[in-house]
Amino acid sequence: MTEKIKQLVDKVKELLEKASSVAEIGDIRVTFLGKSGEYTGLLRGLKDVAPAERGTIGKLINEGKVRLENMIAEKEAYFRKKEEAKKLASEKIDVTLSKGYLIGSTHPITKVKNEILDTFIGLGFAVKEGPEIETDYYNFQTLGIPADHPARDMQDTFYISENILLRTHTSPMQSRTMLSEKPPIRIVVPGKVYRADDDATHSPIFNQIEGLCVEEGISLAHLKNMLEIFAKSTFTKDTKVRFRPSYFPFTEPSVEVDISCSMCGGKGCRLCKGTGWIEVLGAGIVNPVVLENCGIDSKKYSGFAFGFGIDRIAMLKYGIPDIRLMYENDVNFLKQYK
Amino acid sequence: MKAPLSWLKDYVDITVSEEELAAKLVGAGFEIEEVIRPSDDYVNIKAVKILSMDKHPNADKLRICQVDAGDKRLQIVTAATNVSVGDVVALALDGAKLPDGTCIKKGELRGVLSEGMFCGGSELKLTGADYPAAGIDGVFIFPEDTVPGTDINDFIGTNDVIFDVSVTANRPDCNSIIGIAREIAAVLGQPMKDTFRLPEISEEGEISSALSVEVKDEELCPRYLAKMLKEVKIAPSDELIKRRLRLMGLRPINNIVDITNYVLFDIGQPMHAFDYKDIAGGKIVVRRAEKGESIVTLDGTENHLGENNLVIANRDIPMAVAGVMGGANSGISDTTDTVVFEFARFKRDNIRKTARTLGLHSDSSARFEKGIDFISQDLALIRTIQLVTRLGAGRFAKGTVDTLKKAITPAVITVKKSKIDEILGIDVETKEIERILKSLQFDVVVNGDDMTITIPAFREDIVGANDIAEEVIRMYGYDNIVGKPLDGKKLMQGGRNPRDRIVQKIKAFLSGIGGLSETFSYSFISPKFIEEFSLAEGDPRTNVIRILNPLSEDVSVMRTTLAPSMFSICASNYARGVKEGAFYEIGKTYFPKSLPMTDTAIEKETLVLATFGEKRDFYSLKGIFEALADRFNVAVDFIPSDEPFLHPYRQAFITIAGKKIGYIGQLHPAVAKTRKFDAELYLAEIDLDAFIDNATDFLPFVAISKFPSIQRDLAFVVDENVYAGEMLKRIKAVGGDYLRQASVFDVYQGIGVLPGKKSIAFNLLFRKDDGTLDGEEVSKTVDDIIAAMSASFGAKLRD
Repeated sequence: MTEKIKQLVDKVKELLEKASSVAEIGDIRVTFLGKSGEYTGLLRGLKDVAPAERGTIGKLINEGKVRLENMIAEKEAYFRKKEEAKKLASEKIDVTLSKGYLIGSTHPITKVKNEILDTFIGLGFAVKEGPEIETDYYNFQTLGIPADHPARDMQDTFYISENILLRTHTSPMQSRTMLSEKPPIRIVVPGKVYRADDDATHSPIFNQIEGLCVEEGISLAHLKNMLEIFAKSTFTKDTKVRFRPSYFPFTEPSVEVDISCSMCGGKGCRLCKGTGWIEVLGAGIVNPVVLENCGIDSKKYSGFAFGFGIDRIAMLKYGIPDIRLMYENDVNFLKQYK
Repeated sequence: MKAPLSWLKDYVDITVSEEELAAKLVGAGFEIEEVIRPSDDYVNIKAVKILSMDKHPNADKLRICQVDAGDKRLQIVTAATNVSVGDVVALALDGAKLPDGTCIKKGELRGVLSEGMFCGGSELKLTGADYPAAGIDGVFIFPEDTVPGTDINDFIGTNDVIFDVSVTANRPDCNSIIGIAREIAAVLGQPMKDTFRLPEISEEGEISSALSVEVKDEELCPRYLAKMLKEVKIAPSDELIKRRLRLMGLRPINNIVDITNYVLFDIGQPMHAFDYKDIAGGKIVVRRAEKGESIVTLDGTENHLGENNLVIANRDIPMAVAGVMGGANSGISDTTDTVVFEFARFKRDNIRKTARTLGLHSDSSARFEKGIDFISQDLALIRTIQLVTRLGAGRFAKGTVDTLKKAITPAVITVKKSKIDEILGIDVETKEIERILKSLQFDVVVNGDDMTITIPAFREDIVGANDIAEEVIRMYGYDNIVGKPLDGKKLMQGGRNPRDRIVQKIKAFLSGIGGLSETFSYSFISPKFIEEFSLAEGDPRTNVIRILNPLSEDVSVMRTTLAPSMFSICASNYARGVKEGAFYEIGKTYFPKSLPMTDTAIEKETLVLATFGEKRDFYSLKGIFEALADRFNVAVDFIPSDEPFLHPYRQAFITIAGKKIGYIGQLHPAVAKTRKFDAELYLAEIDLDAFIDNATDFLPFVAISKFPSIQRDLAFVVDENVYAGEMLKRIKAVGGDYLRQASVFDVYQGIGVLPGKKSIAFNLLFRKDDGTLDGEEVSKTVDDIIAAMSASFGAKLRD
């Protein structure tokens, strides 16, 4: 009997070595360990063994069975793994291929506008919008620019009728807001504005953001701080801000605001024409005449205001050389701004 | 304003470099547009003496000259006939550049070397009024004592530096040499020289016996000052005046005209010179023109005047359009014997209006439009007397006629020092403020915090503390302002309004998952779109707002639809070889409340979507739009439509709760062809305001049912013209509370379905939130649906 056990075990061993698939191993299992398997038959033969030896032999048979089961399982696992690997290999794909995808884009004006608005929203400014087709009254008169004032030459205006025009700046929202709200006022106004001008740096339509802050005791130093925050968050952390005297009818004092050149960092380059500075916006202390025009006590309150072209900031930020690219909507341009 | 350095030095000593001066002016608020070196126009052009002239061996009309160029001798071949040996003439040497940009190189003329070219007046941009020798046809001959080798720039006075200063609208006083000089004096801390001493003159008669002035409209002409010059000798001006006028870009004419121009630049006060014999009645009347009056001005144009135009008239007729231009009938001529000089102040906006309506512009009107102060007439008068005396141009009649009744007293304001600090946000010492204001010719008396400030007459722009603060800081230096946070101020809640927040999310959705590129196009378009899109009369989109002064007809009306712009964007990309595109734009459309416009417009935020390309069809665009509507929980519907510019069988109106908000469809191929667009272009356009009114980004939580759902598929055969959407709507209507979803999953025509019919398969999902659904209940509802389909659409259940 012992001999028989060894024989069968050796036979299975031999067969397993020859086997080459999970299926074959399954057959071996059935052949030997199945209900009517050869090895299983040994157990049935136990009844012919002398009772005194039965315990020993039975133990041997069982031990052999465990051995066989282990051997089969091991081999089966081996082939299962191998076959799986083979199947996976047959599923190989070229991962460098692509079936294409859909991706839209956001116009750089929208991108830059939202970034800038976020900065000012964080500083407590509310976003407001106003009409693009404006009255002469709001666009000019409330801002201290009466009819035939020489400052009207500063802006080439598109007219709809004698008193209706396409707003030349977002500033009319200064007076519209001050006429309807009481200080403290802190607003930013994005929107399209229009000037009869068309060349590489001027588009007849462009986008501005106006800022207005009216409270007690507002100074040029407050304005400078706000614009420093704006410049640093829009460009780089070490961007500097410089004021130069200027003139706008609705601010007094008025300043042109330069930032240190976004390309060379102030060392001087082609973009800043060697000066290290780039003019980006106009600003100033709200002219008391404008406050009074809007029913705000200029003895008690003061304010600052600023206005700049989003298009110009976007051009600087992205290095876009010609403003007209912004409005040509060439897909090769648009797709650069995902 | 052009300001030659040599002229500025009449008023103030300038010892700093040109660069430093320019930088200081910029710091004080005067941009330097350009630093012009007029000598750049005359490079290597010299006076040379002709030593000999010989015949050219190969050309009868040419001669060979040996010339003394000071440091060397040169050989010049010339065709000139007006020169002879011993003349000192103008020569452009090898490497010379003439004012018109021509460069001169040495070369051979008919086989003989010529080391330069003789120049005449026209080549040197000089005329007979500059130098008599420049007026003749031939080579320019210098006075005989001119040293050979003299550079032409030294002779004509172009060795100078001109600052082209940009003057802001609040500083009309700086449209003059004296005004710029005052600023330079202030930035350099130098005193202004006194240049207004009256010379000794011998006078002839009294002006009051020969001339009277009547101003009929004192608002439009607050001051009219006249001075009479008799025994006038019309002659050329002296070298200095001529040089300076040339530097300003003006041609010298004669002494009288030159003086008026000189004073205009020098003081900023426009003048006019009338020939006394043209002043009929010896009376000058400043009045509004009468209706129907006209005048031919010096430029030769006839101007029809109206009562808003101020004129300078004699007893009978206008002699000049006040402040703008003189009449051809009263100008100075060679025979003028007596001149009346005008020094006036006119109301700036009236001059501006007149110059615009007549289309007449001059150096005078440019200055009057910006504003002339009350002191300039007096300064100009003194300067005129000095110049006339220097040139010996005539003898003045005693006195002036001046309509200014009382002397002008300077304005005085009191400003608190603390207010200046508050505006600037920094503390500037009182002494420093005082020093700055005094350097700008303000008078200051300090009394504690109060500063009593006398404003110079030429600074009419100064009215209050803000103006004074600006004067202080532009001299003190803006770099001294240190940013200060808004601390101690009220905390404010900023942010966007809810509507704007939705707009930003819509953009994010379309640019992101929608896969569309955002565009920005012009708000004004060509009115031709009405015709190209076949919009019917009465369609509100034809009621366009026109721009009175458009850049061109192509951009002359405010758009009432974004479709034309979007079509144009697609077409231009398509023309560049882009075969697949997906775009959107959010912009306004503009509608008049009434025409002509008297008020603001109705501005509607509008969304347009467009797609084209092989993988794009009606349904793919509709899918994007439906996803957008779903994203913002807007229930939209699509109903049959009749937009004339869309494919008649591929379009729908988009509605919300039965109200039309826009359309979706394929651009009519005939319209597409107008821009050579031969692909299918799908467009959708909606009133975004209406969409947002129904949109929400917030819905409260709805409990998720724990109970199983039952699904049923139903296929109907219907007539092929039946809309699946209509059937779906009906199914939902009769489906009861437990029908949670219904959708079309297949539409089929072909074998097994009769011609003219189609099969539409629906998937229905039933569920109950508070219990397990009874199969019989569902079956009953399905029967109802089948019955309704049959009744409404003649639909038969497909076997």
